[in-house]
Amino acid sequence: MSFFDKLFGKKESSASKAKDRLRLVLETERGANAIPNMDEMREELIKVIQKYTKVKDIKIISEKNHDIDVLALEIILDN
Amino acid sequence: MGQIITVTSGKGGVGKSTTLANLAVALADLGKRVVAVDFDIGLRNLDMLLGLENRIVYNVVDIMEGKCNLSQALINDKHSKNLYFLPASQTNDKNILDTDKVRALMQTLKQEFDIVLVDSPAGIEGGFEHAVLYADRALVVSTPDVSSVRDADRVIGIIDAKSEKAQAGEEVQKHIIVNRLKPDLVERGDMLTVEDVLNILALPLIGVVLDDEKVISSTNTGEPVVRDKKAVSSDAYRRIARRILGEEVPVPDFTAKKGFFKRLFG
Repeated sequence: MSFFDKLFGKKESSASKAKDRLRLVLETERGANAIPNMDEMREELIKVIQKYTKVKDIKIISEKNHDIDVLALEIILDN
Repeated sequence: MGQIITVTSGKGGVGKSTTLANLAVALADLGKRVVAVDFDIGLRNLDMLLGLENRIVYNVVDIMEGKCNLSQALINDKHSKNLYFLPASQTNDKNILDTDKVRALMQTLKQEFDIVLVDSPAGIEGGFEHAVLYADRALVVSTPDVSSVRDADRVIGIIDAKSEKAQAGEEVQKHIIVNRLKPDLVERGDMLTVEDVLNILALPLIGVVLDDEKVISSTNTGEPVVRDKKAVSSDAYRRIARRILGEEVPVPDFTAKKGFFKRLFG
């Protein structure tokens, strides 16, 4: 943004908004797409856990915290 | 042995087939034996961009199904003896592509040609996966807008996960082509810059093609714009073709020509 734009309080450019929005969207999407065979992994995990306890469902949540990629498993038990 | 270069984008309508047609002509003009393969099964397009729609007898699926041999299906370009074209089939059958048959065809094409340019369909379904499966390198076409960049990012991830080369632990070389850049909009802050796109996609650039109205008239007549020496995009495509062959070619400065007032105060 030029000196004059700042002086007259011109609003943030649409391109920089585009950049910010893309960054945010891709951060979540990249996490979700990092494991292409997520469904197969989920099925196998259910089988393994079934050996030890009754499982109703497994939710796999992928997150990005700063520089660390996290996969969180939520195992819903079948009572 | 030639190399397979897949031109892809994720989002449709960003100029993928136009880019491929022009690069095919430019590479053939540089003396390479080139075949342009339309892998957009069901939605044939590349034929009209190359002006070869009246010469089609057989298509890519006919070869794979053994209904004809390769030389019967290949169509030689009107102007260049180095350039050949393989049309897409117009079948509605989504599952027509068989992985082993695609592999066999790609292997044959690699032996016959220096460069096999594969036009991938938009989207991320079966046709797309087959188009990237055997790629040695990929050119990802993106316009500087949010939907195109987002879909390009998705497609890059899939190439890394699914291509045979990537699965064998090798890397598929990937480059970005920024298409339809409008320098005056970039200048005003209303369009993502080339640097923005590259930073977001985290891949190297292989070329920038400015928005060029001549592309529309050249599509109308079926004469790829690269043959029109006066068109701004023509030069851009020729530069990209040389870079594909490993030559170092500078990227021209695209900043918009500034008006008097802007020059004074910008």
